[in-house]
Amino acid sequence: MTVKALYNYDFPSADRAEVFGDDQLVYVLWDGNPLLCSAACFRVPKAMTFGEFLSTVVHPWAASDPDFDPAAVHNWRLFDEPIDPEAGRLLADLGVGHKALLKFST
Amino acid sequence: MTIELSKTARKKLPLKERYARLTRDLDWEPSYVAREELFPYTRYEGIKIHDWNGWQDPFRLTVDAYYKYQAEKDKRLYAVLDSFAQGQGHLTLSDASYLNAVKLFIQGVTPLEYAAHRHFAFLARHLEGPAPRFAALCQSIDELRHCQTQVHTISNYNKYYDGFHSWSKMYDRVWYLSVPKSLLDDAMSAGPFEFLISISFSFEYLLTNLLFVPFMSGASFNGDLPTMSFGFSAQSDESRHMTLGLEAIKFLLEQDEDNVPIIQEWIDKWFWRAYRMSGLVAGMMDYMLPKPVMAWNEAFELYFEDQMLGGLFPDLEYYGIKPPRHVDDAIAEKDKLSHDIYRILHNFSFAAALTTQTPSETHMAWLSEQYPQTFDRYYRPVWEKHRRIEASGGRVFFQGLPQLCQVCQVPMAFSEASDPTQICLRRSEFRSETFHTCSDGCKWIFDREPEKYVQAWLPVHQIHQGHCGGRSIPEVLAWYGIQDGDNGEYKGSPDQQAWASWHADETGQ
Repeated sequence: MTVKALYNYDFPSADRAEVFGDDQLVYVLWDGNPLLCSAACFRVPKAMTFGEFLSTVVHPWAASDPDFDPAAVHNWRLFDEPIDPEAGRLLADLGVGHKALLKFST
Repeated sequence: MTIELSKTARKKLPLKERYARLTRDLDWEPSYVAREELFPYTRYEGIKIHDWNGWQDPFRLTVDAYYKYQAEKDKRLYAVLDSFAQGQGHLTLSDASYLNAVKLFIQGVTPLEYAAHRHFAFLARHLEGPAPRFAALCQSIDELRHCQTQVHTISNYNKYYDGFHSWSKMYDRVWYLSVPKSLLDDAMSAGPFEFLISISFSFEYLLTNLLFVPFMSGASFNGDLPTMSFGFSAQSDESRHMTLGLEAIKFLLEQDEDNVPIIQEWIDKWFWRAYRMSGLVAGMMDYMLPKPVMAWNEAFELYFEDQMLGGLFPDLEYYGIKPPRHVDDAIAEKDKLSHDIYRILHNFSFAAALTTQTPSETHMAWLSEQYPQTFDRYYRPVWEKHRRIEASGGRVFFQGLPQLCQVCQVPMAFSEASDPTQICLRRSEFRSETFHTCSDGCKWIFDREPEKYVQAWLPVHQIHQGHCGGRSIPEVLAWYGIQDGDNGEYKGSPDQQAWASWHADETGQ
């Protein structure tokens, strides 16, 4: 179903990939940790390596929980698909696109 | 003799006739423009109206009578406000932390009244029948009066406490206030009939006892006489609005059978929209009131399950209307909703114009009692972890921004009905872009009108686009109008310290 309107109803998405240029939005969920209420939303370069993403983005956020242990992070999933990301690969090459959701467990 | 004559001439008309003369009699048939030109918005939604005069006027109110009643109510309210202010009534509240509920109210509810005022004024011009136009006019003025009296009622607290100063700007900008704002904007940008179902029916009728009344009963239990008096002052208006909501839906259903499936979809959509917003009220009821009134689950059972599902919907069945789609999801999460919501506010109050705190032992005991199925098992351990961290001088805040639902704009923190430890994550693809929603209800709403919701002004994504004063937290807080002390943890906040110092001399006596 489409929006009923008196005119041609056609507007761009507010958060379409192009408005973020060389960056993109990526969500990260610490699965099973109720201390942090939801997944986090980050703006990161598409050309960032996974290792850099972990050390500069995910770990500082996860440290919101003082019990966070980076060594315990495992079971990465892209949406629901298990992935085994190498630290040197770029997010884009791992298939992590705009508004993708990454999940991990500890 | 002349005196006698004059008396006869001044004789009042019977109420019914007087009402007819002053309302319906003032309508006319357009002669030099087509009806469609005069009322351009009443056809495109697909609703068929055959007889606008079929609209029953439940109150038969005229403008002069309306103003007289409202003026009397205002006089009574302002007398209470004056005496509370002059007697330093704020010192007799249950606790300064209670005011977080009032902050949420003025930031999130008062601007809704103003928005509703604007849109009912639009309906007062654009509905085709004179009776619904007049009802919309009265409601428009009511909503403006509510907005004004709320501002006057609550402004007294702005003299002594933080977080009350920039609510109007905050409503337009701050993340948790985008929840109510986006709901009203969604309704205002729909057609006039959908607006009636969204606001008059779903909001004012179906869920008003869960959206509005809890603030007033919270006020009454926590010594906030002004807010309670405001609630009384608004109550007769609200019952008129409820009646309008019910009249609107019955009128639309009776006009044409083809209206039924359209109305059903709007009920399905707006129940869920309004219900999602009521989550903020649930969090307030269970966590912000030093003297709680009633737990959310109990209020939901009484006001929604018993009164609406048990009372209203069996009546609407006659017209072919079913209970709202996804209502079972709302029932299934009634023991979890308030906890999920307050966890969000607790994680993010560094960026809110209110403060939060980990519930005390006594408060947790009350929550255990109210939520025997869920609290001790799923939520107490989280609060106990917070208490441990706070005992060693820490305080957990979420060091980042949350993922938001594309439709309700609440952070995606709701849990799966089948498993409270799993966050409910739904997604849709539209024009090769991914959109995330918090529930089957919000996903259904998105998928029904994706062209509308792709435009959502999601506060988190707007921050990431640099539209909110900058991308660092201090820049965003400055742009929000949040000042130091408005936000963060309650314990040690300026409000808490001021409260303690005002009451310090009472302790040793």
